[in-house]
Amino acid sequence: MRAFSQRTHAEAKFVEQKHLKVLSSPLRTSGRLIYIAPDRLEKLTLRPNRELLLVAGDAVTFERVDGKRRTLRLQDYPALWGFIDSIRGTMAGDLEALQRFYAVMLQGPEDNWQLVLTPRVQVMRAAVSEIVIHGTQARIVSVEVTEARGDRSVMQVREAGP
Amino acid sequence: VKRRLLGGWLVLLLFCVVVVARARYTADLAAFLPASPSETQQILVDQLREGAVARVLLLGMEGAETPVLAALSNALVRQLSEDDRFGRVHNGAADVLGKDATFVIENRYVLSAAVTPERFSPSGLRAALQAQLDRLASPLSVAVTPVLARDATGEVFEIAERLQPPDGPHYRDGVWFAQDGTRALLTVYSRAPGFDLDAQEHALDAIREAFEAERSKLGVPAQAARLLLAGPAVFAVNSRSAMRQDVTRVSALATLGVVGLLLFALRSPRIVGITLLPVVAGALAGVAAVSLAYGSVHGVTLGFGATLLGEAVDYAIYFFGGAAGASSPRAGLLRIWPTLRLGLVTSLVGFGALIFSGFPGLAQLGLFSCIGLAVALLATRWVLPEISPAMREPPLLRTVASWIPSGNAHWRPLIYTLAGACMIWLAVRGGSVWNDELAVLSPVPQSDLRLDEAMRSDLGLPDVRHIVVVSADSEQAALEGAEAVGARLDALIGERALAGYDSPAAFLPSVSTQRMRQQAIPEEKLLRANLAKALQGLPFRQGLFEPFLAEAAEQRIRAPLQPADVRLSVMAAPLESLLITRRSRTHALMPLRGVTKPETIEAQLRAAGVSAVLLDLKTETDSLYRSYRQRVVAFSLLGAAAIAAVLLFGLGSLRRTWRVLAPLVAAILVTAAFISIVQSGLTVFHLVALLLVVGVGSNYTLFFEHFAGCDNKSEPQRFSLVLCSLTTIIGFGAVGLAQTPVLSMIGGTVALGAALSLLFAALMAESKSRIEDCVRLKGGRR
Repeated sequence: MRAFSQRTHAEAKFVEQKHLKVLSSPLRTSGRLIYIAPDRLEKLTLRPNRELLLVAGDAVTFERVDGKRRTLRLQDYPALWGFIDSIRGTMAGDLEALQRFYAVMLQGPEDNWQLVLTPRVQVMRAAVSEIVIHGTQARIVSVEVTEARGDRSVMQVREAGP
Repeated sequence: VKRRLLGGWLVLLLFCVVVVARARYTADLAAFLPASPSETQQILVDQLREGAVARVLLLGMEGAETPVLAALSNALVRQLSEDDRFGRVHNGAADVLGKDATFVIENRYVLSAAVTPERFSPSGLRAALQAQLDRLASPLSVAVTPVLARDATGEVFEIAERLQPPDGPHYRDGVWFAQDGTRALLTVYSRAPGFDLDAQEHALDAIREAFEAERSKLGVPAQAARLLLAGPAVFAVNSRSAMRQDVTRVSALATLGVVGLLLFALRSPRIVGITLLPVVAGALAGVAAVSLAYGSVHGVTLGFGATLLGEAVDYAIYFFGGAAGASSPRAGLLRIWPTLRLGLVTSLVGFGALIFSGFPGLAQLGLFSCIGLAVALLATRWVLPEISPAMREPPLLRTVASWIPSGNAHWRPLIYTLAGACMIWLAVRGGSVWNDELAVLSPVPQSDLRLDEAMRSDLGLPDVRHIVVVSADSEQAALEGAEAVGARLDALIGERALAGYDSPAAFLPSVSTQRMRQQAIPEEKLLRANLAKALQGLPFRQGLFEPFLAEAAEQRIRAPLQPADVRLSVMAAPLESLLITRRSRTHALMPLRGVTKPETIEAQLRAAGVSAVLLDLKTETDSLYRSYRQRVVAFSLLGAAAIAAVLLFGLGSLRRTWRVLAPLVAAILVTAAFISIVQSGLTVFHLVALLLVVGVGSNYTLFFEHFAGCDNKSEPQRFSLVLCSLTTIIGFGAVGLAQTPVLSMIGGTVALGAALSLLFAALMAESKSRIEDCVRLKGGRR
């Protein structure tokens, strides 16, 4: 975790697969992730539609294809909340912040670790059952969010450089 | 007889004290708006006074950490929601798509504007399903999945998008915050109408108490969290208390100044006490009369109480001035009584015009002045001679009297030229002499306005400047009209003539529109076939949309939504504020956002073929105020003409009337020109002040004319004139120092006008007397 806290900026490509119960096959999206320490996260989806999710501190804005902007309340989107929190917490190397909201379990060797987060907060637990982050050294390889209703999303991350 | 007279007098005073103590006080500038404007103007005035706009309170909390503020915000919502005084308390924790979503979900097919026959064709369904897939792919998917099976076409999102302005408030820790995250925001609808300031004040106190209670419950130190309040009701309550303080301060200052001066000049506390008697009686009677006649007393009227001090104290001073040279107080009084009486009648005629002006605020001023002055003079005439001691010549008399310059023929052409120049200047400026912006009268400090503006923009509330008003004979017709206008506005949004709008039809579509939407849903068999076609190649799970098919079939035959249904739901508050029925006419209000081309919008409204107007609140209030000012000018001119007529009748000579009026007219012209230059334009209140100058100044010029004509030894009279004008200048000068713009305008204007009247009257006075005028006056009617 300490290795993470020394990074101030990270950029990566992602491919996300959403396995939703309402769908017979997973939805695939791809784009770029940008993290700027300590709390700024940008998720720019390029395919199938261009969308931008911008998180700075507690403020979340979502911009759609048509340029319409919306500010979001993270409490309405627990899965998104968990996703953002876990990535930011991990990237910032802030174990304490993570432990405030999640039961944290770290397993595996340094070049193939696995971080399992289970929400402590009731609102979140009702929606998200588990978040699993895979990584090697100070890099995130994948983020998997499992929702309480059984929906699941798996994001593969490939960093451009350290 | 004497004792009975005084006894009756005391009883009357006591009665006045009781009435004054029980009176209700307001500071609402809307009282100075006309009582019978046009219908749309009436809607506007009503909105300002009691509409939803006037009832919404904006709360901000800052100073503490974000989680603390969020916790405070939630605690405050819980606390205030239980209070009967408040309608809806909102901090964003429950929004339309939150736990209140049931109403929207159940009525989605009649509420959604996207519901058309094409929507349910194979291609329409395909497009809607594709949009749902996009939503599922986005981070917002969690809001889609729970209702997807029922709401295949995503109507809930169509509705939400229309109801929630795109630049709505930001969230931190689940509640509304300002963009920079330092201020938690709430909106509270107070149930009491905006004009009920006592109720509003209690509501504000309740909010402050609740905040303090929750703050200490959470263990947050007092200096760590601040509560900020804004909104029209807050302004009204604050300006009332500010005005109250102002009036108190001004009255104290004026009283202190006047009493100090009198003590210094008269050297007798007893005589000073007696001098103030008519003033006190007049002010009490004036306030009591206004309270009885209008039900409440306006702060501006009270401010006049201080100014009345200036004029009414003159009566007693004239009385003592007259008494000083006479054998007894009564004899002295009788000598000046005709002039006093004529002065009073002049003032009554001037202010009487205001009573019939049709503006509640001005009528109060008129009634107050008339009653106050009449009672003060009656006290001077009947009470003072009974209780005052024999008057010796005041020691300072000769010195003070010498302050007044003597009349000189050289001065007259000079003053005429000056007055003429001012008149020409005013005539050349024409209409631009007036400042018709209501904002200059507003007692609300700039800092409060900025806070209000900041919170409003953070909350994404409309700027409340442009409103389309659609009027009809029934609720349904008004809703249909709003829908017709809405269709035009939608097109104009594309042309960037405006950014968006609210409509009551978004919360409650007209029955005909609801029926149309219901009929747009095809029969179940057809819908099933269309859906099957639309679903080809899309990854939705087999049989997922069975609930959708069932509900769509139900929705086709359901009863349309009625106003009563909506009034029980989360949509109640917005609907109530946008759909108003008064006197069997229903008005749909459609506030617009980001208007850039008002003319284009107006043209489209005309073409829409419904009874709809675009109100620009700023120009509308300004024009309302302008027409109001024009009427006040008319009434003032009428009053002035009546004054001239009274003087002509009272003095019985055209030449003497001119001698009385000339200095007065000159003083008013010079004052008006001066004020219009210094204070960037004249307002109605300046006009009222000028009328007051006529009232006060006519006494001076009358007495000058009187003394010039009759007395060789006019020092006592000159002394009283100097004293009178000094008290007037002190009285109004104190009012001129008030913080409330309206009061300071009146005070400054009258102080200047009165001083100029005195100066001009002295300079223009004729040194040689005309005996026959004098004889007529002395032997004049009693």
